[in-house]
Amino acid sequence: MQGIGNFNYQGGDYVSQLPGVSDPDKAYASITRNDYIDYVKNYRQFEEDLLDRAQNDTSLIDDARTNAAEAQGLMAGVADRNAARYGVNLTPAQRQQQERGLARANNLGLAQSVNDARIAQKEANQAAIGDLINIGQGVNRSSLSQMQGVAQSATQRKNAYDQAKAASKAQTYSTIGGLASAAIFAFAF
Amino acid sequence: MGSKPKQKDYQPSAAEKASAAVAMAENKYFKEKYDPLLQKMRDASQTDDSADVLRGRANADTMQTLAGKASYDRAASGASGGAEAQAYQAQLAAADKTGLGIKNNMQLGVLGTARGQAADAQTGMGSAASMGASRVLTQAKAKQTEREAKMGALGQVATSLVLQGAKNMQSGGKVKMQADGKTPMKDANGNVMRTEKGSFFTPRDDDGNKVQGFGNRLGYSDFMNTSPY
Repeated sequence: MQGIGNFNYQGGDYVSQLPGVSDPDKAYASITRNDYIDYVKNYRQFEEDLLDRAQNDTSLIDDARTNAAEAQGLMAGVADRNAARYGVNLTPAQRQQQERGLARANNLGLAQSVNDARIAQKEANQAAIGDLINIGQGVNRSSLSQMQGVAQSATQRKNAYDQAKAASKAQTYSTIGGLASAAIFAFAF
Repeated sequence: MGSKPKQKDYQPSAAEKASAAVAMAENKYFKEKYDPLLQKMRDASQTDDSADVLRGRANADTMQTLAGKASYDRAASGASGGAEAQAYQAQLAAADKTGLGIKNNMQLGVLGTARGQAADAQTGMGSAASMGASRVLTQAKAKQTEREAKMGALGQVATSLVLQGAKNMQSGGKVKMQADGKTPMKDANGNVMRTEKGSFFTPRDDDGNKVQGFGNRLGYSDFMNTSPY
């Protein structure tokens, strides 16, 4: 049966055709090791850049300044083209007044825009930092969980070794004791 | 006493084999198909042009609005267009903010996914280490059990040896009787004569003869005596 989302299924047992895994423990270790190597190779620098940018990004503020300069030139051009379109000749005083008015309004706009950009930048950076902390916290949580598992295994190994040593000694002493007591019984010392 | 454990009895089940094969195939498929996609998303998020697109749209919106307001009166009065400049700045700022938001979301999404993989990998490594530790423990325990069994067996053999040796040494040494069977024989010094005693490895019977041969030895010991009395 074929349809949307269906692989070109031809029937048959796909699982039995898969290559077997002779040592799943080793394969699992290899996969997890390679995943971490891939992360370091492909995403570590990306992550560090993002961390740096979330703390130091000023692109919105920088853009606001650039936008103001761009707006002033653009609006001056618009005014000139409109004047030409309607055949208006402004006096030098009118023109000066027009330029001053544009510069004043543009500077006010710049101040407003930069102030808004500072707030927006802060919000964006804070949001990015918050998300990064969430990601880092998740990674840290699983790292601690992993460390806990390894530590527990190490403790179990150590305990098992200590118990085995103790059991071995006990067995040895028991054997020696058995021999000695047998000798004592045998020779009626 | 049971037979020795056979390694074939400890082979993984069909379900385990299938699980391992499918997991391996899925991992391979993921690496081949999804990893490159995530890397593409990473690159795309770094060269994201959403802000440029939005700025272009903001520019077009502003200009359309301004063009509609163009009039002779405005041109003749020398209107500066300051309000429009402010509006233009605000529009571009809004576009920049939205563009940055899109870029940040993309990059954080990529990183979150990548770190999610990494986190899974770490958890996996922990499980792998745990599995390894469990196997080491099992092996150690098995070796220890084997060692203890050997030691125990050795002790049993040695104990039996000592006990039997002592019993052998106790054998013989009976008082020699004269022909009447009641009067002990004595030597020239007047000491009671006894049969020779057994050695550690060789017992002697009541007459002082060495008990030799498998059948004689078996008959001599109480090994075949199954009577509880």
